[in-house]
Amino acid sequence: MQNAVYNSPIRKMVNPASRAAHGFRVVLLLFPIVLSFILDARAADSTAAEQQLAGKIAAVTGPGAVVLSVENRSSLGKKETDAVSGRLRVALESLGVRSVNPNQAAATVAISLSENPTAYVWVAEIRLGAGESSIAMVSFPRAEGPSFAHESMSTALTLRKIPLWAQEDRILDIAVLDEDPPPNPGPKHIAVLDPEKVSLYRLQGGKWQQEQALSVSHSRPWPRDLRGRLVPAKDHLLDVYLPGVLCHLSAALPLVLTCRESDDPWPLGRGLSPGTETSVNSSFSATPGPATPGGTASVASSLSAFFAPTRNFFTGALAPGVGKFRTVPKFYSAAPLPRDKYVLWLFASVDGQLHLLDGITDQVARLDWGSDIASIRTSCGSGWQVLATSSANAASASIASANSASANNAGDSVRAYEFADRAPVAVSAPVDFAGEITALWTETKGDTALVVVRNQEAGNYEAFRLATACSQ
Amino acid sequence: MKLFGWQRLAASSLLLTALAVAETRPQYGGRLRVSLREAMTSLDPAGGTSVASFARRNLTLLIFDTLTTIDDRGELHPALATSWQAASGNQRWQFRLRQGVKFHDGALLTSDNVASCLRTANPSWKVFVDGDFLVIERDTPDPNLPAELTLSHNAVAKKDADGKLSGTGPFHIADWQPGKKLVLAAEENYWRGRPFLDAIEIEMGKNLRDQLIALEVGGADFVEVGPEQIPRVSMDGARVSSSAPVELVALLFTRDIRSPEEKLLRDALALCVERASIRSVLLQGTGQPTGGLLPNWTTGYGFVFPTDADLPRARQEREQVRTAPNWSVAYDASDSMARLLVERIALNARDAGLVLQPTTAANADLRLVRIAMASSNAWIALTNVAEASGLVLPKGGENSVEDMYVAERELLTTQRLIPLFHLPVTYASAKTLKDWTLGADGSWRLADSWMGERQGNQQTVSGKP
Repeated sequence: MQNAVYNSPIRKMVNPASRAAHGFRVVLLLFPIVLSFILDARAADSTAAEQQLAGKIAAVTGPGAVVLSVENRSSLGKKETDAVSGRLRVALESLGVRSVNPNQAAATVAISLSENPTAYVWVAEIRLGAGESSIAMVSFPRAEGPSFAHESMSTALTLRKIPLWAQEDRILDIAVLDEDPPPNPGPKHIAVLDPEKVSLYRLQGGKWQQEQALSVSHSRPWPRDLRGRLVPAKDHLLDVYLPGVLCHLSAALPLVLTCRESDDPWPLGRGLSPGTETSVNSSFSATPGPATPGGTASVASSLSAFFAPTRNFFTGALAPGVGKFRTVPKFYSAAPLPRDKYVLWLFASVDGQLHLLDGITDQVARLDWGSDIASIRTSCGSGWQVLATSSANAASASIASANSASANNAGDSVRAYEFADRAPVAVSAPVDFAGEITALWTETKGDTALVVVRNQEAGNYEAFRLATACSQ
Repeated sequence: MKLFGWQRLAASSLLLTALAVAETRPQYGGRLRVSLREAMTSLDPAGGTSVASFARRNLTLLIFDTLTTIDDRGELHPALATSWQAASGNQRWQFRLRQGVKFHDGALLTSDNVASCLRTANPSWKVFVDGDFLVIERDTPDPNLPAELTLSHNAVAKKDADGKLSGTGPFHIADWQPGKKLVLAAEENYWRGRPFLDAIEIEMGKNLRDQLIALEVGGADFVEVGPEQIPRVSMDGARVSSSAPVELVALLFTRDIRSPEEKLLRDALALCVERASIRSVLLQGTGQPTGGLLPNWTTGYGFVFPTDADLPRARQEREQVRTAPNWSVAYDASDSMARLLVERIALNARDAGLVLQPTTAANADLRLVRIAMASSNAWIALTNVAEASGLVLPKGGENSVEDMYVAERELLTTQRLIPLFHLPVTYASAKTLKDWTLGADGSWRLADSWMGERQGNQQTVSGKP
C-alpha cells in the first residue's frame, strides 16, 4: 500500500482549477443545444438499460410468452414512459420473450420504472406460474437538464426576462462588457463575479468560451448571503466590490485582478451618469458610453455607501450624502429616481421600511416590497421606474403537503413601480422567477437590470436581464 | 409542476399559514429557542455512534464540522477536506485538509487533530498523516468512506486540558448543563461565514406535549412534533416541516431463529400486521408502510417488498406449528406512539393466533425499535440499520443498486427484523424563524436561518423632516 496509485481528485472540490471547470459547465443562451445533448445522453443510457434489463428478464423466463406490464413510478413523463415501454418490448422480443394477453401465459413480468435521488431504477418482478417471484433490476444515472421559466404577461409596462447565464456557484453580479447592437442586441463578452473569482467569457461561433478566470483573494471568510458588484472603471476594466475587499481588474492583456482589504464605499446608482458609464470593446479598453439624457443623473451617480464587511447590508453611512443626510438606517439596497431638480433616493432598510430621501426630508414607508430594489431608465411613463422584489406568496398562504403533489415551489418576483407624489404605483405585472432572488442590480447602461435567482429545483444560480417594453 | 418520488418527499414540508410577507434578505441577530425530548449528557462527537439520534446528530453538526458533507441527493461536498482520492481498490483514501481553519478556542486545525478524532471514532481504521494528506486505510474496500465521514460521530473536536470541547463549526458552546440546557453562540470567524443567528438556546428532556405548549405560549421557537400532534399544530398556525421518511419503525427479535417452527411463526407475525390501517389511524396518515429496511426514495426499489397484510396466509403459517410461545414485546415507556403501535400489532397478532405481550421491561422477545437513518447515502443507511439491529451487513458486490437490493434482502432473510413504517421527522417552528429548511434526511440547516419580526402587508407612509 505504500506505493498506492490514486485516482484523480474527486469532483466538487473548492480549488480554482475545478472551479474553472465548473465554469465551462454553464448553460448560457445555448439552452436548446445543451438540452438536446442531455436528452440524447439520457436516451443512450436508457437504451442500454432497456437491453440489459431485457437480458436479465429473458435469463429468468427463457424464450416464450409472458404477460408484460410497465408501470411508471418515476418522474418520467408519459411520452418517455411510452417510449421506454416500447423499446423494452422490442428488446424482449429480440430475445424471444413475447408479450401476450393475460390468459395466454402463466409467466408475468411487471416492470416498474422507478428512481432514487441519483439514478433511474428499473425493476422487473418476474413470476413463473404460482412459484416465488424473482427480481431483476438495472439502474443508470439520472441526468437533470436546466430549466428556465418563461416570462409572465404584462399590464402597463412589460418586463421581459432574458436568460443570461447559469452556473452552480453563486452569481454575485454580471457585467456585460460588449454586445451586439440593435436590432439584435445580445451580450457577446461578459464578466461573471462569484464568491471566489471573476470569469470572463466570450461568445465565439455561437458558443461561450471562457477566456480567463481570476481568483479573488480574501483573508477573512465571506459573510453569509454574500453580495458583490462589478463596476466599470475609467482607467481599468472593472472594479470589484465585495464585503471588506476591493479588487481592480486591469484592462491590458493578460488581465490581472488585484485585491486588497478595503472599506471603500460602494457606488450606488450605476449607469446614471455620462461620467461613469462605460462600454468596453473587445480589446478590453474602456470607452465612454452614450450620454444619459437629462442633466440630473450625475448627481445620483455620485452617491456611494459603505458596506458592512461581515454582513449583508450597507451600514447606512453615505458618501457624500443626500442633501443634508449623511446617514440613513442600515439598508440592503438603494435606487435613485431623478426628478427635474433633485434626485429622490429610495433605501430599502434592514428593518423592512422604505426611506425616501430628497435631500431635505426623509419619508418612511412600509410597503409589501422585498429587500432588493433597483431603478431603470426607460422610454415609458415618467422615464424612470423602480424594480422591487417580493415573494410570490406575499398575498396568500400556501400549503404544501407531503401527501399532496401540490408542493409549492413558487419563487420570488420583480415588479416595476413609479413614484407619483411619493406613493408607489405598480406599472407592470410581476415577473415570476423559479426561486429566491439573491441579487438585483441596475446594469451598466441603466436601462436594464440584472436579476440572479437561486433555482432550488435545478440547484444552480440563474441570471436574467430584465428589459422593458412600453405598452401600446 | 408535478413532483415524483424522492423530489416530492424532499419537498414534503407542511407550510401552513405562511404569513403574507415580502421577500427579504436574511437579518443578523436573534436568539433561537429550541426544545428537545432527548437529554444529552455529552456533546463529544466521539461519544456518539454511527446510529446517533436526529437530535444528537443535528446538535453535533452545529458545533463541529466533518471532513465531507452530503446533500439530499446523496452527493458529497467538501467541508474540512477540500479534496480526496482513492487508491485502486478503494481501501486507501487520502484527504487534503482545508487550510486556515481554526477551532473555537483559536487553535489552528491540524491533520493530527483530525487523525486523532477519526481513530477514536473508528478503532478499526488506520488513520495517519502523510505529508500534506490525511490517509485512511481500511481492511476491506470501502467505496463509501468519504460518505461515512459525513456522520456526526466522525466530526472533528478538540478537548483542552480541562476537558472543554472545541469545534470548528458555526456555533461555539457558551453554556452547557448536561442533560438540561445548551446555549450556543455564533462563531464570528466561522470559515463558511458567521451564522445569522446570534445564539441558539436548547432545552433538553422536554416531552412532546410540553414542547408544543412552549411553542404555543411563545416559550420556544422550534420544537419536535409527533405524528399524532401534526393536525393540532397545523390548526394552531405554526409552521410544520417534515423530512422525507427517514426513521425505520420495526419489530426486532432479540435473537436469531432457532427452529423451522420459529421461522413459520415469525412469517405469520410479519404477514398479519395491518400497516395501512395503522398508518391512517395511529399515524394520522404520516409515514409510509414498508416491508424493506430502506425507504423507497433512497433506493428506488423499496416497493418490491410487500406491505399488505395477508391474514389467511398468516393463519396458515401459524397453524403449521402446534404450540406457539407468548412473545413479550418491549417498547420505550416514554414514547406514547410506541405503546399504541405495540398494542395495535398485538391485536393483529391475536387474529392470526399469536400472543404478543406488550411490556416496558428491557428483557423481552421482541422490541419495537425506531432507527434513525444515518445518511442519505443508502449504503451507509443500510449499514447503520444492520448495526442498530445487531446484524452484519453482507460483504461483496460492486456498490450498485442491485448489490444493495441483494444485501438488504439477505438482512431481511434473517427474519430478525419486521419492518413496519418509515416515518418522517417533524418539527414545528415559530413564524419568526425564517429561511429554515429541513433536509430530506432530517438535518436542521440552522446556520442559514434567521429571526425576523416582519409585519404583515400594509402600505403606510409617514414623514420625518
